[in-house]
Amino acid sequence: MTRTSRFTTALLGALTLAGCHALDVADLNNPGLESLESTPTPVALNTAATGLLVGLRAGIAEPNGYITLLGAMGREGFNLNTNSDPRYVAEMFLGPLDPGSGAFGANIWAARYANIRNTTIVLHATENVVGMTDAQKQGLRGFAKTIQALELLRVIGTRDANGAVIDVDRPATGAPGAIATRAETYTRIAALLDEALTSLQGAGGQFSFALGEGFTGLDTPAQFAKFNRAIRARAAVYNNDWSAALTALGLSFLDTGAPLTLGAYHVYSTGSGDATNNILQGTQLIRANPLLISSAQAGDLRVSNKLAGTETGTGSSGTSTTISSDQEFTIYPTNASPVPIIRNEELILLRAEANLGLGNITQALVDINFIRNSAGLGPYGGATTAPAVLNELLYNKRYSLLWEGGHSWLDYRHYNKLTDLPRQTANGKFFSKMPFPTNECLARNPQPTSGCTPESGF
Amino acid sequence: MRSKLIALAAVLLGVLPRSGFAQGRTISGTVLDSVTRAPIELARVGLAGSPSAVSTTAGGQFTLSGVPAGDVTLTVRAVGYLRREIPVSAGTSTISVSLSRDVFRMEEIVITGQATGVARRNLANAIATVGAEDIDVHPTASLEQQLQGKVAGAEISTNGGAPGGGVQVRLRGVTSVNATAEPLYIVDGIIISDVAIPSNANAITGAAGGSNPALTQDGQVNRIADLNPNEIESIEILKGASAAAIYGGRAANGVVIIKTKRGAPGAERISISQRFGYSSLMRKIGARRFTTAADVDAVFGAGKGALYCPGGTCPYYDHEEELGGEKRLAVETSANITGGTQNTRYYASGTLENTPGIITNTAFRRHSIRLNLDQFVSSKLNLQVNTNVIHTRADRGITNNDNNGVSYYYILTGTPTFVDLRAKPDGTFPNNPFQASNPLQTAALVSNKEDVWRFIASNRIQWTPLTSERSSLRFAAVGGLDYFIQKNTIFSPPSLQFEPQDGLPGTSLLSNSDNLNLNLDGSAIHTYSGHGFTATTSAGIQYARRSLDINRIESRNLIAGQENVSAGTAVRVRENRSLIKDLGFYAQEEVILMDERLALTAGIRADQSSLDADPNKLFYYPKAAVSFRFPGSPSGFLNEFKIRAAFGQTGNEPLYGQRFTPLNSTLNLGGIPGLVVLGTTGGADLRPERNQEIETGFDGQFLRNRLSVEASVFQKNVSNLLLTRNLPPSSGFGVEVFNGGKLRVRGMEVAAAIIPVQTRELSWFSRITFSKNLSRITELPVPPFETGGFGTSLGAFKIEEGKSATQIIGNYIDPATGAKALQPKVVGDANPSFRMAFGQDVTWKSWTLHALADWQQGGSVVNLTRLLQDAFSNAPDGAAGDTRIGAWATGESSTYIEPATFIKIREIALGWEMPKRVVRSLWSAVQSARLQVSARNLFWLHTPYHGFDPEVSNFGNQPIARNIDVTPYPPSRTFFFTINLGL
Repeated sequence: MTRTSRFTTALLGALTLAGCHALDVADLNNPGLESLESTPTPVALNTAATGLLVGLRAGIAEPNGYITLLGAMGREGFNLNTNSDPRYVAEMFLGPLDPGSGAFGANIWAARYANIRNTTIVLHATENVVGMTDAQKQGLRGFAKTIQALELLRVIGTRDANGAVIDVDRPATGAPGAIATRAETYTRIAALLDEALTSLQGAGGQFSFALGEGFTGLDTPAQFAKFNRAIRARAAVYNNDWSAALTALGLSFLDTGAPLTLGAYHVYSTGSGDATNNILQGTQLIRANPLLISSAQAGDLRVSNKLAGTETGTGSSGTSTTISSDQEFTIYPTNASPVPIIRNEELILLRAEANLGLGNITQALVDINFIRNSAGLGPYGGATTAPAVLNELLYNKRYSLLWEGGHSWLDYRHYNKLTDLPRQTANGKFFSKMPFPTNECLARNPQPTSGCTPESGF
Repeated sequence: MRSKLIALAAVLLGVLPRSGFAQGRTISGTVLDSVTRAPIELARVGLAGSPSAVSTTAGGQFTLSGVPAGDVTLTVRAVGYLRREIPVSAGTSTISVSLSRDVFRMEEIVITGQATGVARRNLANAIATVGAEDIDVHPTASLEQQLQGKVAGAEISTNGGAPGGGVQVRLRGVTSVNATAEPLYIVDGIIISDVAIPSNANAITGAAGGSNPALTQDGQVNRIADLNPNEIESIEILKGASAAAIYGGRAANGVVIIKTKRGAPGAERISISQRFGYSSLMRKIGARRFTTAADVDAVFGAGKGALYCPGGTCPYYDHEEELGGEKRLAVETSANITGGTQNTRYYASGTLENTPGIITNTAFRRHSIRLNLDQFVSSKLNLQVNTNVIHTRADRGITNNDNNGVSYYYILTGTPTFVDLRAKPDGTFPNNPFQASNPLQTAALVSNKEDVWRFIASNRIQWTPLTSERSSLRFAAVGGLDYFIQKNTIFSPPSLQFEPQDGLPGTSLLSNSDNLNLNLDGSAIHTYSGHGFTATTSAGIQYARRSLDINRIESRNLIAGQENVSAGTAVRVRENRSLIKDLGFYAQEEVILMDERLALTAGIRADQSSLDADPNKLFYYPKAAVSFRFPGSPSGFLNEFKIRAAFGQTGNEPLYGQRFTPLNSTLNLGGIPGLVVLGTTGGADLRPERNQEIETGFDGQFLRNRLSVEASVFQKNVSNLLLTRNLPPSSGFGVEVFNGGKLRVRGMEVAAAIIPVQTRELSWFSRITFSKNLSRITELPVPPFETGGFGTSLGAFKIEEGKSATQIIGNYIDPATGAKALQPKVVGDANPSFRMAFGQDVTWKSWTLHALADWQQGGSVVNLTRLLQDAFSNAPDGAAGDTRIGAWATGESSTYIEPATFIKIREIALGWEMPKRVVRSLWSAVQSARLQVSARNLFWLHTPYHGFDPEVSNFGNQPIARNIDVTPYPPSRTFFFTINLGL
């Protein structure tokens, strides 16, 4: 008995020792996050870097995307397809903006943070990759931080006083990052862009990854740095940081001698696995605001260049609210038409805006008149007081950047002038900010004090 | 006492060593069956207390020499008979022993561990055993169907009537929400694959839509359907964690242990079986009858009557009969040869089976060859080799859900009976003016073939280095593999009415899957028989590796209607791979004490798996069980009574992929690839679900072994359920797979066997089983969510804390407001109130009659076939259908939730054993011949269900969401005539 029991114990012991056998099987169907972050190959890392641009354009040119939703709130144009979803009119015009409405009132969050996660993955992987030069790594860092800053800028633009999450470099399944204030967010955006600039300046002559056709002329580190400064300028202007804006614009690709269309774009195609522009001209019930025509100054070429008549589309909410329009945008003729991220025309107007903010009204008018001239209008002849010139600036920003990324809403909201825009319908509301998605609120205890209740507008 | 234990140990070892006898006297005699008085061949007779024994001859005679002088006790045992101790006085040298049949299988050794077993009379769990005589009375495509109605506590339901299987086995209720729902299947010691690989019929039916759909509506068949029931010797079913704990992290849904037939020493015996039969449509749902053109106008609009019913009266075409009315000949031929010497034994068998279905172009074929060898290399070493090659081919047609207008019965629900769908004299088919396709054309021209070649081999080596009178040490190693390749081809030629719809006429789908399961087990077993007790200690290690690669090609716009996938202009390719490695360790101690009255077991299993977030972490699954016997007297009222209690834990592993955080590698920017996050992430400590079961019960044999009752109650507590929860989007992800939540199931099972009559000429064996269980989600850390179904208005399954796991919710009209209520309510539950089965076996002289009835009471089915029919104004009860669909449209979802009650006569068989002299006069080589007529699904005594079959699942095998009926393949009844010859 004793002999065999000792034997058995020995056998069991041997078996347990043999038990520490590695059984790791990786994901055979998709690349995995952990392996990309901890043991990336240069090829995978470069693909992830290009992926930042895939993520950047997600949710922008969609029937309920960035352009359409902010365009409705800024009364540029609207999606009137209330048969497909009544919230196109009910929520976006009458409100309230609902935290539970991830596709409408609480949109422009999940896809942006998904891409921000992509940027943190690229930054981690850059630290761990073997087989790349330091210059290439600097290029990746500069690129990723610039994209991250741009996404945060989109988020804070929509959430404004509600704040945003800037502490994004955390484990995905742990506690969520705290909601930072508007000021903190703009500080973070500025810091990211400045750090990125330093990295780009050490990134050598070219990137290790491809940026695609949307960044033609901006796809070397030195040129991409100009794009970085352009974004920096936009962020500075939104934050009333006028001198920083002027400095940044001086280093950007702003050039009154170059075409106004010079800039960076989201590109689309019908190739397998590629995305298409889904707000192209003719998309069911996407219409331009017909009041754009009557509010335009006589002879403004931007109206005839960007709008065209079409069959009347109507969207309604119940019996009391009806919006109809017989105008559509011609800006995106096909489903491969690119969408601007930021371009020369906006930079010139940003310079005007920064100068206006600093009180340099004459300087501002130089740029405003440049834009007016290219739009077929004569020089500005109204009062040269700051408020009047501001109205003129806002008019030009609205018409120059029509339907490109919610500029009307962002700019008029910036100066608390949303009520200057047409209500469109008697009970139409203006919204100064969008709420957080419900899952963001539920994940925090206590819930954030603002941004978790429906936004009723005014 | 000790002798019995040593004899028991000897049986466990499988080796019967011979030792020299001392000089002594000789006892001889005969061993007979107590009822028939027939001699028993191969009975073992030996001295009580001695491991050596002699076998009886064909005439039941034995001669035992070397018996000591004086009074002795002999032990006489035979397979299928109860053991007897015979006292032989000093002067007696010839005895006659009669053994009574072990109808309740008390002597049977039941597997209780990886390599150990215990006699049923001491068993501490309610383990069901189904023997060879209960399987294969009537051929079915799939082995699981043979078990229907024969196992208390098992709910075995077909998903549809298509030939070739598609059955779900659920033991003791639900066990999980998101993890696997299948029990573990072990054949001859190795775990075989029971995956169900979809055919990708979704590519033409569009049932699931989307560009990356979950292919659960293809009518997929799990690969247990390949096993040949007539090669099986016995099936043991471990119904819950208390019995299955020793199988660890994959055994949460129970374990089915299958042993195939083995050779026995002696002259070879050949058995040949030839069957002929056919299937016929069992049930029709009917359709609206239109007698006059005015009827047609009333439903379809003015003018339609004149169009379809020229001359005023409307023609009537029975589409269901036209589609499902085939009665083609089914044939099964099978032969086996078994024999061997004391050292080498073999069993070889071959089967060819062809069962056409009731719809044209559907059939099931199986070809199987098996060779099982046992070689006793020495008294200490024996080898077992089992090999099986199987080829199955299932053509199952296109049924179930559909969004493209292809599925046969989906289209029939919307095709009125006055439309002539039959082929025209030139062989072409008319277009269906009411729907997108003509089902008769689709059935004739679309081919959906599933072709599987499978090879299963298992090998066992047993080495017994140490044997003594009291103890023995045995080592066993089992290694085996299960390899199959499955090829699914679906060809939809461009000439079909529906093909041009997507602008790409002609679709050819090719899927190739290959699966390899490898098993390697090692065990050490030590048995000690001491003063009044036996102790068996076992420990072992188990390694399993399984890989499955599925490649799918979808080719559309076929040039010249060619079937080859290269012929399409729009080709799409997908691949999915998985590889899983599991490693487990176990140790177990089984002790039988107190004159074989008290049996105690304790064991533990440790498992690690590549599916867990930490693949090197061991999860422990303990078990413990106790049983106490009260042996009565063989001639009294109480013959045997045993109370038992058992506890055990098993796990349910995460599914492959759940622990990963995948990146989407299919996107690009102008042709340049870009990697982005996909949105789901696996929890950092993803682990198996834990299933703990406590079971207690009693077993009794009464009335001189004419009545046996076995009753058990159990409670299952499942914790660490695999669930998904929403993450805050600022994390960059939307969904996380994690462990949380608890599920509890309570239930009871009763199985009674009665022998009301047992005489020499007539015997009647009756079995009744009863089972019932209730589930409840006891803890849910996420908000309630829907799992399965088509949404609340059509009846959805909802997982909610405090409610049954299988509840069905739907909309309803609030009586207070008269309008649709804002929140849905519970409108049904897929779980039946109870299940009962009645099996009768009557033997009179050379005739046998077998009947099996299966009764399910309660439960709910979502009858969407009826909803479709009503929506198309095609209900058999005419205007009542319009009222129903109106009620549903206003929000009364319970309109289409029907009770799943049924009483089905599953099997009836009448057999006749031909008298031996008649047999020999016809053919001298034949020893025995038996004829049988049998039927399966002959009729149903009762069911209130308005669809084809209340046993249905549109989504195939599901952990929760069964019982959804969307135009499946209708059920059929099958008849067979069988000739069995024994040579």
